[in-house]
This record gives sequence, structure tokens and C-alpha cells, in this order.
Amino acid sequence: MENDNISVIKVRDVLMVTVPPDPDDTAMAFLQEKVLMSMEQFRAKGVVLDISAVETLDSYFARVLSETVQMVILMGGKTVIAGMRPSVAITTTQLGLSIGNAETALNVDRALDMISESLQWR
Amino acid sequence: MDDRQGELSIGRESDVIVVRQTVRKITKLLGMGLTDTTRVVTAASELARNIFLYAESGVMRWNVIDTPGSQGIELVFIDQGPGIPDIGQAMQEGYTTSKGLGMGLPGSRRLVDEMEIVSAVGKGTTVTIKKWNRRS
Repeated sequence: MENDNISVIKVRDVLMVTVPPDPDDTAMAFLQEKVLMSMEQFRAKGVVLDISAVETLDSYFARVLSETVQMVILMGGKTVIAGMRPSVAITTTQLGLSIGNAETALNVDRALDMISESLQWR
Repeated sequence: MDDRQGELSIGRESDVIVVRQTVRKITKLLGMGLTDTTRVVTAASELARNIFLYAESGVMRWNVIDTPGSQGIELVFIDQGPGIPDIGQAMQEGYTTSKGLGMGLPGSRRLVDEMEIVSAVGKGTTVTIKKWNRRS
């Protein structure tokens, strides 16, 4: 049921993924797999993970995010994490979490700009 | 159920979500700000996850706490799991015996105002955290 909330839409060469507000671990694992399957299926070059609805980002969540970024790299893609809320940015940093070497953007618009800029030079 | 105290059992991964929702509801009743709410909800999520990862099952008790002039939330995470042999080590960044990042305990400590850990090997662990409402 929870998994129905996760939508992956392809816009040009980019997958747009909306992360639900309070996903459980199963939903996050499902999201990760769905992103990777969609990379292959849609022959995508990049992923925008929209986390603007996310209210709580704990260590498990952060690990799945950074793993996903790494997995997308292995498949030849680029990920931008977009729309982290201020309260989540404060909490995540104080908790000591990092999201690896993921690129971030203020919102989905800027994330798309970043990905399309980097794709032009490939 | 009383609005000022309660207990939740933690036995499955999905209970972590219930813990987050419950803590969020209490901080809302207290009128706690968004950032402090996010801090305490995240700490609760980490500690509930610790129970699920290390002890398999346990409970979270919650209380609204009052002192003259301020109000806050107290969360007590109790399990009868393996216990923590060396709390000093468990509080170190990056130390983990599970699939986690080793940020749970030291990270959670930074998100709350007070944290107390009582643990006995083979008997279990109790972690108490408190967050005061800065707005009041």
C-alpha cells in the first residue's frame, strides 16, 4: 500500500522520484529498487530525488539515499537530491549523517538544471 | 489514552513509524517548534530502531514533563536485549555492531537536551531522553 505512493516519472532523460513524507524501511528499499529498474527500463541518464515532503531523515534513510546515489553512479547515471527542508538539514547534520558525495539542489527546478547542464558536456 | 503519558511496544520495523508519529503528535500538543520537533522525532526514530536492531523488542514510554516555567517531553526506551557492554564505546562516532552507521547514540545525544543510558549485559538497556520546549 505504502509502495503505491512512490512515483517514478521520466522527463526527457531524467527520472523524477518523489519520496513520500514518512516512508518505512520497506518503502525505502522498494524505492531504491524501483529507481534502479527504471534507470534500465527508461535508459535514463539521471535521477532527481525529491525529498521536499520528507519530515524525518534518520540514519537508515540516509544510508538508503547514499547507497542509491552510488548505485545510480554504477549504472552510469547522476543523482541530485532536491528540496531538503531546513529542519531536516539541521537535524541531519547534528545527527552526524552524511549523504555521501550526492549532489543537492534547493528544489526540483534547480536539480533539473544541474543535471541537464552536466549532460550537455557528455 | 491519557494525553500526557503512554506506552508503545516496539517489535517490528513498522513500529518505528508509529513511534515517530506518536512523538510528533505530543510535540504538537506542546506547541514545540518545527526544528526541535524534527530533532526529537529523529532521535526517537534512531533509538526505536536500536531496539528493533539489537534487542528485537521493547517499549517506548512517553511523558509530558513539567517544571515551573517550562514543559517538555521525556521518552524512555526500554528493552530486555543483550545490553551494552561498554557505553563509552557505544557513544563513539562510527562505532557499530549492526548494519547501521554507528550514529544512533552519539547523534541522538546531540539532538536532545538530556540523555541517560542504563544498561546491564544480558539484562537490557534503558535510554531516557528529554527535550524541553524552548517556546514556553
